[in-house]
Amino acid sequence: MRKANRAALAVWVAALLACAAVIARTEISTDMSAFLPRSPSPGQQVLVDQVREGVVSRIVLLAIEGAPSDVLAALSRDMAARLRREPALVAVNNGEEAALDADRDFLWRNRYVLSPAVVPARFTVVGLRDALQRDQVMLSSGLAVLVKRALPSDPTGEMLTIIDQFAGDAPPHTRSDVWFSQDDSRALMMVQTRAAGFDIDGQQQALRLIEDAFRHARQAMPGAETAHLLETGPGVFAVRTRAAMQEDAERLSLIATILIAGVLLSAYRSLRLLMLGLLPVLCGALAGIAAVSLGFGFVHGITLGFGVTLMGESVDYAIYLFTQTAPGSQPADTLARIWPTLRLGVLTSVAGFSAMLFSTFTGFAQLGLFSITGLIVAVAVTRWLLPTLLPRGLTAIESRIFALGPLAVMRQARRLRPALLAWVLAAGTLLCFHHGGFWQEELSSLSPIPMRDQELDKKLRRDVGAPDVRYLVVATAASEQRALEASDRLSGLLRSMTEEKWLSGFDAPDRYLPSEKAQLARRAALPSEELLRAHLREALDGFGFRAELFAPFLADAAAASRAPPLVRASLPPHLSLKLGSLLFERHGDWVAMVPLRGMGEPRRVADRIAELNERGVVFVDLKGESDRLLQTYQREAALLSLVGGLVILGLLTLSLRSMSRVFLVAAPLAASVVSTMALLTFDGRKLSIFHLVGLLLIVAVGSNYCLFFERQRREGVQSERTVASLVLANLCTVIGFGVLSFSRIPVLHDIGVTVAAGALLSLFFGAILNAPRETRPSQDFGRISHNPTP
Amino acid sequence: MRRLTRCLASLVIAVALWLCASTNVTQAAPDAAVRWDVPQLMSALRQVKSATARFVERKHLHMMDKPLEVSGTLLYLAPDQLQKITIWPNWERLAVKQNLLTIEQDHEGNARTFSLTDHAEIGAFVESIRATLAGDLPTLTRFYAVTIEGDAADWRLLLLPKERKLQDLVKDIRIGGTGNNILMVETEEADGDRSVMSIVEEDIR
Repeated sequence: MRKANRAALAVWVAALLACAAVIARTEISTDMSAFLPRSPSPGQQVLVDQVREGVVSRIVLLAIEGAPSDVLAALSRDMAARLRREPALVAVNNGEEAALDADRDFLWRNRYVLSPAVVPARFTVVGLRDALQRDQVMLSSGLAVLVKRALPSDPTGEMLTIIDQFAGDAPPHTRSDVWFSQDDSRALMMVQTRAAGFDIDGQQQALRLIEDAFRHARQAMPGAETAHLLETGPGVFAVRTRAAMQEDAERLSLIATILIAGVLLSAYRSLRLLMLGLLPVLCGALAGIAAVSLGFGFVHGITLGFGVTLMGESVDYAIYLFTQTAPGSQPADTLARIWPTLRLGVLTSVAGFSAMLFSTFTGFAQLGLFSITGLIVAVAVTRWLLPTLLPRGLTAIESRIFALGPLAVMRQARRLRPALLAWVLAAGTLLCFHHGGFWQEELSSLSPIPMRDQELDKKLRRDVGAPDVRYLVVATAASEQRALEASDRLSGLLRSMTEEKWLSGFDAPDRYLPSEKAQLARRAALPSEELLRAHLREALDGFGFRAELFAPFLADAAAASRAPPLVRASLPPHLSLKLGSLLFERHGDWVAMVPLRGMGEPRRVADRIAELNERGVVFVDLKGESDRLLQTYQREAALLSLVGGLVILGLLTLSLRSMSRVFLVAAPLAASVVSTMALLTFDGRKLSIFHLVGLLLIVAVGSNYCLFFERQRREGVQSERTVASLVLANLCTVIGFGVLSFSRIPVLHDIGVTVAAGALLSLFFGAILNAPRETRPSQDFGRISHNPTP
Repeated sequence: MRRLTRCLASLVIAVALWLCASTNVTQAAPDAAVRWDVPQLMSALRQVKSATARFVERKHLHMMDKPLEVSGTLLYLAPDQLQKITIWPNWERLAVKQNLLTIEQDHEGNARTFSLTDHAEIGAFVESIRATLAGDLPTLTRFYAVTIEGDAADWRLLLLPKERKLQDLVKDIRIGGTGNNILMVETEEADGDRSVMSIVEEDIR
């Protein structure tokens, strides 16, 4: 025996050191995409990539409000000037014209390469006569001033063709040359960071720059004291979520530790017992983190936050040991007595958490592995180490007060059973008539971003006219040129569909940089200078245009056919940025993105693109994908919970070998699951998948109490000590999960609130259903805690 | 492309003037002997809630050997809706409503829309049109030097842009009328092009 003890001690110390070594090298991640699936469809891949590193993920939207609009405009200009000096920011746009002039100049100079209307037929005599006819109509129309200045250089209207393509990209409302919201209450600015959206440190640094620039601009401006800055965008959310996660993990574990320690101290009245009781928790947590680190290569911040629940649960084992050991008896004897029940309890808990292991969410799988390892280690430490460390005769003092509630309930059990039945029926009825389905249908409900921030984001996006893109076509190819060629073809197809009014417009990389092939074809469409002059002379016959009016056109066309090919580096900064967001390299492939606007016939557009039958071209409905993603999550969570529940039931059947015993354990659990669901949804709220997983954990955790109650009933002995230990254990679990319900992270909050309520109900329902037929309390409480046994 | 903005500005100016021209007065014509001043004209225009008129416009463009002629209908609905529908030689509709200018050249719903507030000089100009229609002289004089000559029977309003951006587009605008009727709007652009529009009122409320 002594030898075995020493061996256990040695194993424990070695394991602890190993865990510490692993944890020391562990990377903590707060990247929320860990809570996205690991093997997504191509469409979902686009979604995930956009969230992680797309240009969209680098945009920070800013608004300045709370001062007269003149002051806001001045602040915006000053702040933008400061930010433009920062190398960490790629672009700062607040509506000041400078950037746009360069863009327009570029489009004008390269109109014969950029306009998709440049084809040979356009420069024949017939083509030119058509153009001149149109010009004459234009000159007599209200649009005369619009075309007049450009006409001598551009009679075929290539510039107008190019501009018309951009017609749907309405710039935000402007006031004093600065972007403003429609009601002039907010000055707007768009900033693009160099750091990707998932680089939270980089994002945080960029935000600090922005806030500093605002502070300095405000200090320098008289009358601007009341102005304040609003920030939104994926980077802002990532930074805030990380801060919230860290804060929650620290604050909640501290609160839970204090509460649980307080409860245990009041029950044990011994600091030494408290320390020993927390030992399994500590070991479990260390082992859990180490296991996750080894299994996944990193530990998610949310997993650490979830550690709070492990504390509430794994502390139970020591509680059973300490509280159920009567003065005068040996801890080892207690352990031998309760071990079968304890073991089964741990097994059911592990079965519940195992379901999470199979989730396609990396994050969920981590929570599962963490809890399983933690629980097994905690029970192992309790079983094999604590008896060795426990001084002889040291047991918990009487804690009758904890047992009072359930004992009262058990005495009234006969009368309470019909009430319980009625209650469960009512809850079930409530669920059956729940309005509009149980499940949250918005992916945003899983988002850790508070509703208020999501709404601000929507509002600012509307202000700057950058609504979320819902439909896009994505072309993946082996090289940049191949991707641009795909974009050329898609643009051609989409132009014809735009004419058919299936959509109102689109954006595409070839609009800024046509493929080399397309550029060559357009240059080849321009006749030689002599030929064009001859065509024009013939075409002009009969119109009233002044002679030699179109000399600039002949010169520009000749220059265009001689110009060097357009390359990425030729683009002005703003357009280059735009191109960068639509054409980029990813994992060695080149991706061309074609966002679609004003979709009237999404189905037909999708079909037409599918008919192209081109490899690497995908039509994506981001809203559809995110909805499907949520449905996948829901189906998976439902399936996992169901399987987890069945495994637990199987385990109980195998171990208890009696249907009536299984019923007595399972019925209270089922009742508390139904009740918890009803409580969570009775005011019309809907369940998230996190709630669903929480329901499974009610069964996993609550089974422990029911198993003990059932054993008591079978033995026909009602031990106040046992009941007190169950209440104490339950209280700690409820504290652990309950504290978690104050978290701002939905996954933690939802699981916390569900399990806290469900665990508490399980205890009482277990007590009601398992009350012995006659009350015969045993007098096994003792007063003295230090009482050497003979 | 700043050109385009300027073009757009003069376009709007032209549209506005046509539309101004389409407004009329419902008050009884003042005595021809009484001197007709700007406030009186403003006060008269303020009474108009809606108006319809026909127009013929001759454009003298330096690009063309001979002037172009167009004709059609003008509509005004207080306080902020204005339309110019050209019928000959090609159908076209220009419409201003609140802060948007819409131009259609076919019946298939292909419209170009411009936000007037997003172009400072145009925005300023549109405000001055509205001020004219509303009889708001202080706002009008913020953008133009306004002078009037002649008498009630034959008056000529001269608008000279005060702002540099506007001056780059428009040299001057002359509006002529008799009594409550606007009969002519003449615009001289900075590049020498000139347009003369004659108006025949049909229905004024």
